[in-house]
Amino acid sequence: MALSMEELKAAILEKAMKSPKPQLYVKDFYACDPDTKPRMIKKAANELVTEGKLVFWSSGSTTMYAAKGRAKDEEDRGT
Amino acid sequence: MPKHDTPMMDELEKGPWPSFVSDLKRQAEKSPQCWDILGQMELSFKDRITHWKHGGIVGVFGYGGGIVGRYSDVPDKFPGVAHFHTVRLNQPSSKFYSTEMLRKVCDLWEKRGSGMTNMHGSTGDLVLLGTRTEELEPLFYDLTHDLNWDLGGSGSNLRTPSCCLGKARCEWACYDTQAACHTMTMHYQDEIHRPAFPYKFKFKFSGCANDCVAAAARSDLATIGTWRDKIRINQDEVKKYISGENKQNGGGVDDSFGKFDIQKDVIDLCPTGCMWMEDDELKIDDAECTRCMHCINIMPKALRPGTDTGATIMMGAKAPILDGAQLGTMIVPFIKMDPENDFEELVDIIEKVWDWWMENGKNRERLGETMQRVGLPTFLRVMEIEPIPQHVKEPRTNPYVFWREEEVEGGWDRDIKEFRKRHAM
Repeated sequence: MALSMEELKAAILEKAMKSPKPQLYVKDFYACDPDTKPRMIKKAANELVTEGKLVFWSSGSTTMYAAKGRAKDEEDRGT
Repeated sequence: MPKHDTPMMDELEKGPWPSFVSDLKRQAEKSPQCWDILGQMELSFKDRITHWKHGGIVGVFGYGGGIVGRYSDVPDKFPGVAHFHTVRLNQPSSKFYSTEMLRKVCDLWEKRGSGMTNMHGSTGDLVLLGTRTEELEPLFYDLTHDLNWDLGGSGSNLRTPSCCLGKARCEWACYDTQAACHTMTMHYQDEIHRPAFPYKFKFKFSGCANDCVAAAARSDLATIGTWRDKIRINQDEVKKYISGENKQNGGGVDDSFGKFDIQKDVIDLCPTGCMWMEDDELKIDDAECTRCMHCINIMPKALRPGTDTGATIMMGAKAPILDGAQLGTMIVPFIKMDPENDFEELVDIIEKVWDWWMENGKNRERLGETMQRVGLPTFLRVMEIEPIPQHVKEPRTNPYVFWREEEVEGGWDRDIKEFRKRHAM
């Protein structure tokens, strides 16, 4: 049975906090709940961005997600 | 007064063509950071390496696209371009702007950014080049509240849809490309502004096979106008082309092109060989016609697309970022394109392919690459489309038979020797 939206968001956030890689593709979150459709996973991840718990990291051609504070930011490196 | 010595950049002002270096120097009088663009580019020419870094955590609240972070890796030397983010604006369908709106955008961009623009990016966006992170939210507020304008797509989002001039200017448009582009842009706002996919995804809408937005070459899902009845022929006008009274290509070629010869210039160039002359009349076997538009382009007064119009859907085109350039593959031969039902048939196709690609596409894999990896027969099964000869480049030499085990009596383990006793090779 698929997780509720709140359970799904908690699982995604946990994965973003504990993953060895700080930046993750949306597809990396699919394993948080194999019973949930990718569109719902995307929706949950984007809600976490709106809540300020995840951030988008974009190269311009690809977009990844990261737990706030985990991804490297050029501006933090003094540029 | 120039801030840096830029002898190599200055060379680019000496040709007979318009120079972006001259534009930058003129703009630098209003936006001093433009001197640092010139200075950094001079250094890049000298060092033979770019000094831009791109990407990062920049954007406006709630949006996962539309802004591309860009930074200098030598900010101490060129502080004016320490941050130099790009902003993509969703262009109106067919890029029909009023000059009033363009002036407002330019004024806003001089207030919040460098004033430098790129008209347009390859996806069609109006691109604003160069601003600082702290200017992004105020810029977005003014853009959306005062100009009623929105950002375009970037990253793993649906990219800003684009279309040809369509019925606004072109008699050959087989459907209303502007309506389709606008409807899809509004319908898929979430996908444009928030990342959803393994990689970028592009729609483009062309009204006919002349494909003025190069949808077949540059979009993951190309919607190209076509018709399924017969080409309309006016035999009197055909005769006028043959006699020279009508100019070929609508007068678009000069005398050096030579005298019009219907056999050489039209019939022999038909890719399916479906045309011939009979009793001074041009004949077309429409069942064999591939709707390429060549004959219509050459003799526009004599030939016109049919009246039962719609679109062909091609999928999988891309520019050469990873595995090389790829043209789209024809997947759906014909659908009706009806604005009255918000292009429902097109939406069904889009959502079916997205659902599959989101599950099966690898990270940073375009739809065309996923299609190639699984093979066309599998992809057609996913799309619930029966294979037809037009799906195959050379159906007469490539039989295109891919039986599945359940379709073969006895499966893969049947006794082949026993079978061959009854069916000799």
